[in-house]
Amino acid sequence: MTDEPTGRNLDGDAPVAETVVETAEATITEDAELERSIGLSGGLAIGIGTMIGAGIFVFPGLAGGEIGAAAAASFAVGGVIALLVALPTSELATAMPRSGGGYYFISRGLGTLPGTVIGLSLWLGLVFATAFYLVGLGFYALDALAQVGITVGAAPGAIVSAIAVVAGVAFTVLNVTGTENAAKLQNGIVALLLSMLVAFLGFGLLEAFGFVAVDTPPGEAVDVWEAVPILSVAALVFTSYLGFAQVATVAGEMKDPGRNLPLAMVGSVLIVTVLYVLTIFVATNVFKRDALLAAGETAMVEVGRALLGPAGALVIIAGGLLATMSSANASILSTSRAIYGVSKDALLPQRASRINLRYGTPHVALGMAGGPVIVLAATRQVQLLAEVASFLHLIMYGLMCVALVAIRRDRPEWYDPDFVVPGGPVIPVLGALASFGLIAFMNPLSIAVGVAVIAVTAGWYFYYARDIELKGAL
Amino acid sequence: MTRVLVPVAVLDGGGVSPGLMSLLGTVDVTVLGYHVLPEQTPPDQARLQFEERATSALDDLSQEFRAAGGAADHRLVFTHDRQQTIQRVAGEVDADAFAVTGTTGDVDRILVSLSGDVDVDRILSFVEALIGGRDIGVTLVLAGGSQAPGDDVTDAATSEGTDAADAADPRLEAAVGRLREAAIAVNTVVARDRSAFDALIDAVPDHDAVVMGERAPSFRSFVLGDESERVATASVGPVLVVRDRRDSDGADGADAGETAASDE
Repeated sequence: MTDEPTGRNLDGDAPVAETVVETAEATITEDAELERSIGLSGGLAIGIGTMIGAGIFVFPGLAGGEIGAAAAASFAVGGVIALLVALPTSELATAMPRSGGGYYFISRGLGTLPGTVIGLSLWLGLVFATAFYLVGLGFYALDALAQVGITVGAAPGAIVSAIAVVAGVAFTVLNVTGTENAAKLQNGIVALLLSMLVAFLGFGLLEAFGFVAVDTPPGEAVDVWEAVPILSVAALVFTSYLGFAQVATVAGEMKDPGRNLPLAMVGSVLIVTVLYVLTIFVATNVFKRDALLAAGETAMVEVGRALLGPAGALVIIAGGLLATMSSANASILSTSRAIYGVSKDALLPQRASRINLRYGTPHVALGMAGGPVIVLAATRQVQLLAEVASFLHLIMYGLMCVALVAIRRDRPEWYDPDFVVPGGPVIPVLGALASFGLIAFMNPLSIAVGVAVIAVTAGWYFYYARDIELKGAL
Repeated sequence: MTRVLVPVAVLDGGGVSPGLMSLLGTVDVTVLGYHVLPEQTPPDQARLQFEERATSALDDLSQEFRAAGGAADHRLVFTHDRQQTIQRVAGEVDADAFAVTGTTGDVDRILVSLSGDVDVDRILSFVEALIGGRDIGVTLVLAGGSQAPGDDVTDAATSEGTDAADAADPRLEAAVGRLREAAIAVNTVVARDRSAFDALIDAVPDHDAVVMGERAPSFRSFVLGDESERVATASVGPVLVVRDRRDSDGADGADAGETAASDE
């Protein structure tokens, strides 16, 4: 096994390789240094900021509408799977703190074909996820309009699509032209959201245990406490757990990666899991299944209204807008890292990682993220978008766990993680089984779309990058 | 040897004015070429595209510094956070001061601020090394609210003079004595009722560069921006910020790693 990637792609470009020294504060290459500037709070903000938009503000209505209070179990299952994957990911990330995250680990651990498939489907998975967040944003914006008295008559669906598309265009343009660092803003938004949620959930829990009484509307349908529906809802809502892998895509920029990467990934999964389960508990305590089903994507607004009156509804609407925006923004950010990681290894034309001189932003990569996002957002297919995003991520998660087992067995010289998952192969094997297993509970259409995406990316490998060898290279 | 870190926005047309270059001729220089990237851009990606151009610009710059007198080397950093990069590299090369580049011609007279809680001893040694026997005059500025020990001067009037006689502050007197001993022409400005920043900016005319001490980040610097940056903006000329290492001397020695082990 060599330490250097080899081979050339169809354009005759070879992967860019060099020896670098990683310190806690910077990556030192031969002639230059790359500052690590994202701290633990920044990492947690990326993880949590990506996740809570979906899990708290979009899914409770859909998941609670299907199986009632049992949806709490679905979220718990999702959290356990995410944790089983977050631990192996942490080990890989501390050994290879590079841009590209999951793509990098899999291409080095398992070889170029899986690497290409995952690198490209990480990009496309993020595209599906971003489109999903934007559609969520559209639904919240519609509710916000209704709240201020503007009622949309004929085609509310078209309005949601329009808002999602406009937001998608705006995010892409802002990311290409914006040179202000939005990271501090993101941290602030996440802190604000967390405090709003803690207050809201605290009140909801007081109500649930009878310390405070509000009128909860009566409902008929009962909760569905059965394994298959719970797992199938878990597969749907798994999109609410995609954020921790986004932390890995900025691994190259994290300060003290040996400590901060595991803390940020595992910490953000634990925090959001608790919040999700509590949210479902509160939501299903206020509304029965059929009421949640009727309220749909923005059911949480009705929950807020029932608990705290119009002010509660307003808080949830504001929170929903902020959270879906922060999810979409964080995802676009990691998409550009994903594309860069792949094109650096010559699996995509190097044009894809061009930076424009005027703004210093990777406009081609951002366009490759924003363009398809806008098209997908227009479809307004919340469930399909969410499940395809989950499907593509779950494949990556499963393969990351496999990569960990493989790389531990091969033990390249450079493999020296700061964080080691305890228990030998148990956790990565369970993580892989759970990730692949959850796919089986998805909607057949989502699986078909996901498989098609994978097939296209594999085709791209055979067409463009067949000669490139990345396995075992650092 | 005294070392100064000169950060330069190497790809954004940042340069070093001839005046600053010759002023720094008496000391060693590390040119820190940096390029700040928006967070959408992985620093590594920018490196692949811009490294060659940046390195050749830095080679030229350090060549010019060497021609001006002292030893010079360079570092190149791609970063999201300029301040963090300057602090890190300044620590790693064990720099005594870092520059905020501004425009100036030949330097005849420099302004040295001793206001506030700064490491006066270090600032003075730095000024001595910087002037290095050349015919460059110094004006010391001390503004009100100074926390110098034994600061019992209650007169709130602004006094200005070319003599140390009306500077009743013991810290200032000691400083004047020390610089005169090194054969440096010294003036003083005492502004009891002004803030350190205002006093410094008021005194800027007729001076070509500013030397000031580094201060701990405060609420003020959080809201208004770093003090040295504000001085540089207001004074147009270059600013040399002497690093405060009173707390971290031991740690720095260990980091420098050169003779630390044999010293202990």
